[in-house]
Amino acid sequence: MIRRQIAVVGAGMAAARLTAQLFARDPGAAVTLFGDEAYAPYNRALLADVLTGRLPAGTIGLPSSAAQVRTGVEVVAVDTAARTLESADGSIAGYDTLVFATGSNPVLPPIRNLHCTSNTGEGGELKQGVHAFRTLADCARLAAAVPGARRAVVIGGGILGVSAARALAALGLPVEIVHQAPYLMERHLDEDGGAALHRALDRLGVAVYAENRAKSLHGTDRAEGVTLANGYRLDADLVVLACGARPRVGLARAAGLEVRTGIVVDDGMAASAPDVYAIGDCTEHRGVVHGLSGPAWEQADVLAARLCGAEAAYTGSRVGARLTAGPVEIAAFGDVDPVAGGAHDVIRLADPTRGSYKKLVLRGDRLVGAILVGDLATVGALTHAYERDEPVPADPLHLLIPQGAPQ
Amino acid sequence: MIESPTPQSGQTSANSTAPAARRLVLVGHGMVGQRFLEALVERDGGGAWQVTVLCEEPRAAYDRVHLTSYFSGMSADELSMVPAGFMDEHGIDLRLGDPAVAVDREARTVTARSGETFGYDALVLATGSYPFVPPVPGHDADGCFVYRTIEDLEAIEAWAKTAKTGAVVGGGLLGLEAAGALRAMGLDTHVVEFAPRLMAIQIDAGGGEALRRKIEELGVTVHAGAGTQEIGVADGRARTMALSNGETLDVDLVVFSAGVRPRDQLARDSGLAVGERGGIVVDESCRTSDPAVWAIGECALACDGRVYGLVAPGYQMAETVAHELTGGAKAFTGADTSTKLKLLGVDVASFGDAHGAAEGCLEVLYSNSRAGVYKKLVVSADGRLLGGVLVGDAGSYDLLRPLCLAGSPLPAPPEQLVLPESAGGPVAIGASALPDEALVCSCHNVSKGAIRAAVAEQGCADVPAVKKCTRAGTGCGSCVKMLTTIVQDELAANGVEVAKGLCEHFEHTRAELFEIVQVRGITSFTRLIEEHGTGLGCDVCKPAVASILASLSNGHILDGEQAALQDTNDHFLANLQRNGSYSVVPRIPGGEITPEGLITIGEIARDFGLYTKITGGQRIDMFGASVDQLPLIWARLVAAGFESGHAYGKALRTVKSCVGETWCRYGVQDSVGLAIELELRYRGLRSPHKLKSAVSGCARECAEAQSKDFGVIATSAGWNLYIGGNGGMTPRHADLLASDLDRETLIRTIDRFLMFYIRTADRLERTAPWVERMEGGLDHLRAVVMDDSLGICDDLDELMQRHVETYEDEWRATLEDPERLRRFVSFVNAPGTPDPTVTFVAERDQIRPARPGEEGVSLPIEGSVDGPTAGLIAGPTLEVRTS
Repeated sequence: MIRRQIAVVGAGMAAARLTAQLFARDPGAAVTLFGDEAYAPYNRALLADVLTGRLPAGTIGLPSSAAQVRTGVEVVAVDTAARTLESADGSIAGYDTLVFATGSNPVLPPIRNLHCTSNTGEGGELKQGVHAFRTLADCARLAAAVPGARRAVVIGGGILGVSAARALAALGLPVEIVHQAPYLMERHLDEDGGAALHRALDRLGVAVYAENRAKSLHGTDRAEGVTLANGYRLDADLVVLACGARPRVGLARAAGLEVRTGIVVDDGMAASAPDVYAIGDCTEHRGVVHGLSGPAWEQADVLAARLCGAEAAYTGSRVGARLTAGPVEIAAFGDVDPVAGGAHDVIRLADPTRGSYKKLVLRGDRLVGAILVGDLATVGALTHAYERDEPVPADPLHLLIPQGAPQ
Repeated sequence: MIESPTPQSGQTSANSTAPAARRLVLVGHGMVGQRFLEALVERDGGGAWQVTVLCEEPRAAYDRVHLTSYFSGMSADELSMVPAGFMDEHGIDLRLGDPAVAVDREARTVTARSGETFGYDALVLATGSYPFVPPVPGHDADGCFVYRTIEDLEAIEAWAKTAKTGAVVGGGLLGLEAAGALRAMGLDTHVVEFAPRLMAIQIDAGGGEALRRKIEELGVTVHAGAGTQEIGVADGRARTMALSNGETLDVDLVVFSAGVRPRDQLARDSGLAVGERGGIVVDESCRTSDPAVWAIGECALACDGRVYGLVAPGYQMAETVAHELTGGAKAFTGADTSTKLKLLGVDVASFGDAHGAAEGCLEVLYSNSRAGVYKKLVVSADGRLLGGVLVGDAGSYDLLRPLCLAGSPLPAPPEQLVLPESAGGPVAIGASALPDEALVCSCHNVSKGAIRAAVAEQGCADVPAVKKCTRAGTGCGSCVKMLTTIVQDELAANGVEVAKGLCEHFEHTRAELFEIVQVRGITSFTRLIEEHGTGLGCDVCKPAVASILASLSNGHILDGEQAALQDTNDHFLANLQRNGSYSVVPRIPGGEITPEGLITIGEIARDFGLYTKITGGQRIDMFGASVDQLPLIWARLVAAGFESGHAYGKALRTVKSCVGETWCRYGVQDSVGLAIELELRYRGLRSPHKLKSAVSGCARECAEAQSKDFGVIATSAGWNLYIGGNGGMTPRHADLLASDLDRETLIRTIDRFLMFYIRTADRLERTAPWVERMEGGLDHLRAVVMDDSLGICDDLDELMQRHVETYEDEWRATLEDPERLRRFVSFVNAPGTPDPTVTFVAERDQIRPARPGEEGVSLPIEGSVDGPTAGLIAGPTLEVRTS
């Protein structure tokens, strides 16, 4: 029997999930992953744990060996009419079905003097000591730089920045976070939650400069410090950029696919050319671009089912942010700060004596948002109630405090 | 008018002569004045003072604190504070409606409005306060009132008969009471508060917001942050009210309740020192700048620089002066201004440093907009309670305020102290957390130790007796709940039994609720609480009722409303373990299992990486499963013929057995066969607590049947039935209920015993305490289940028959129903990623939960970068080291 050749551009979490799901449904599937990283698929959400050494790099791998994984191969062109891929080494591969799982790129913030200035000026290499934190390779470079570093500045106080700062602090470095918004993780937390996180980071020795912007970097080829918009200068020989990510859509755009912020897909994950699909961070579904693994995996599940002839549709995800397994733990999802006077109910429980801040936002008997900072005992039940959109228990407080142990 | 103390000296001549009674004039007869008289006569047994009282109002002292209850039908007589015959008995000359108008301190006389003049050796001013009316245009129009006296209320009541809309100026305590009264009289009601929130003095912004929501739910419109600019008047009557925020309200009745001012005019006129912002200056003994004149209550500016507008400090001042005048001493240096009250049905309390002013303090918060609850505790950096605000649920006030006053370290994590009772809040911590010296009743200065002593040493057997003995709880009454708890605890400690309902939502015991549910055919918690309880229920009554419903109706435990009532274990049909993972126990009736069954369990445990252990109940427990694994595990178990073992439920657990006569040389009956029959008969039977059983094949009792809720021991002539045993924390040997029963009688007797227990036991009461507290004891039980002395055996038999016929395996039913299955889907935000909070380490070739500080590994981790790919169901990839 001749198998349809499924080619996946990208070998990240979405690609791995798709592969696993395809083989679960059809053990004989013919799948090839083209990944430009040197690694087979791994769980990006655990990079901070690799940085701290809590997990060995080898343990965050995701199952994918049933597929043919071509690592270090960058796809440079796609011909959707001829159904071929061209790699950077010039080789051409055919496909029957093509899946874009190209993920996203870190955003470089508009900071002056980010690059080496000794030779070509802007556009060259990032200064030594300036790191992104997106890939296992970034992680390895950062880990190598930490032992020789004295002070670190993390630019961006979103979940990635907080996670990186937490990891660097755990490695013994003094860390400072520069964050543009009024409080940390403003996309996920409310102000009091941000304040609780701020206090918790303080205790770890992480200083936070909120409502502040990094204006420029010091040093010629090596980072020496960061000047803030308010003129204050932070000395640092390690600078981590954590300013969000943008879908990688260049290849898809060049292939003539419809691209807005991400590659536009329908409920069946189909892009705008026949037998071409896209999943994960690179997609834009119903106007929404996610940057989280949860939706990526849900999309992969839907696509795997459809490619195997089953009925399935992706209608969107209910997602949350989560930072666990460390001294500062956070989980947050949904609408955490509804406008006052609406039909929402809010339950809050804050105990700064032990660093916890917890909040539920309810609408009728549904959970529409929640925050846990510093005490994640109920995160399972809470995530469950949120993701499934089921009625909450008669006493929703049970979603904030663990129930008594069994007899 | 400027504060200028005018020291008076050399005025003691009148005092130094008088073996005869000295003259005392009390100006003002309010609550504090009356308390002063009572304290004086109590100490002045010999009648050293001859007392005259000048009272402005036409009636003697009445309870102004509960003034509003006048509107709910309390008569002026009922509000009176003066015991019948009090004045005559003590020879007190009370002049009603005749206020003092002048004091001549030189001559030591007081002149009343009637023109009569009274000489004094001691003068006590208890003139109280007057309501402050802001001087806005129109404030004196008809239809404008204050809220201070019974006469004021009579006038409001009369005017309200023709009014439609009322506005109260002032959102403090009294203003909200007035608003409640207007609302109750059917008026559209507005409250206008100048401060940005209600009760700004007592509570913080969050508390004010919670209070506002509650009050608006009652139909009162709140305008906060708005000043009153003008009362629009037509035909001399109030018609409109213009607010500083631009709003104009159509009103025809206005109540001013914008605070009170000390009535110090008489003192000013007579040259006594008064404070810059009012109040008669007094020292620690409540003496004014004239040594022959004292001032107490709301008219006095105490030595700590405060004017106290509460009755309790006023009472303390009254005691102080009574001591002074009878040769004693009792300084008044300041008072606790903690308050707890019910405003329009909403609990509001504040105590200590309610606004968190202390340096470095932390604010512990619980708020729930749905329940209308806001609780904040202010905790010092070193963990002591400094103060707090409670709105919507002030049940913990009686515990928290004494803790705050005692300045002792907190008895529990602060979070627990703000949680509601249903979540293990402070009442669950209980009065036992209080030190003996903690003040319980601040009106009468009664400590917890004094209350305990009243029970233990003075033989008070109930709350009324303790109240009489200690006077605790007879003042403002806010401490009665705490008092009751302490008395009950102490009675219990002294071995006296105290009857109680199930919880605050049901006055009935569990047994009574069972009867109600059965007789009325009730099938939902909602209906039960609507018809027979109050409120919304809590974590005490919900699982108890769920258990009753399950006992009676045999429906699936996860269906409909039932699901939400269950606790976590029942919620996922598995036992929650230490680290958030679950354990799985299939039923193995009688402990009998085939090799195939063992292999199935072994394979499942191996495939899912579970820790396995043989339980005390002769079955196998598999630990370490995540919630999303539960259906997968059970699908395989059910396919192999296993059923739920109900290890998670308040239900029959196991019927343990010895191997019996089939194999054993001593056995006299087939104990395994009977055990299996019993286990299959009672499986899934929901009960007030777990049920354990065992069957032994001979008198050697290898199955330990006498430590079970019901145990059976074979005899050569049949079976002996033992009941009411248990191991656990308080072990109890089972009692022999009946001997040498045949199999049919045995089972019928057990049926009835179990159903009688389920029907009449308290929640979470195992059979042992149930038997022990049964009136008439074992004989009564025997008469009921064997001789049908209550005539209920047919009923019990029918209930058990229904259970046996309708039993279905909960796990099979769950697996067959996609709706029920939905609750088990993966928890984590990246599905398939191990929950990093659930971690394990290896020990003795198996996994166990990682301990705090231990670096554990999450399970399952699927494959590795270079390693092999695991199947969809991950196997144990944790490396197991043997050390």
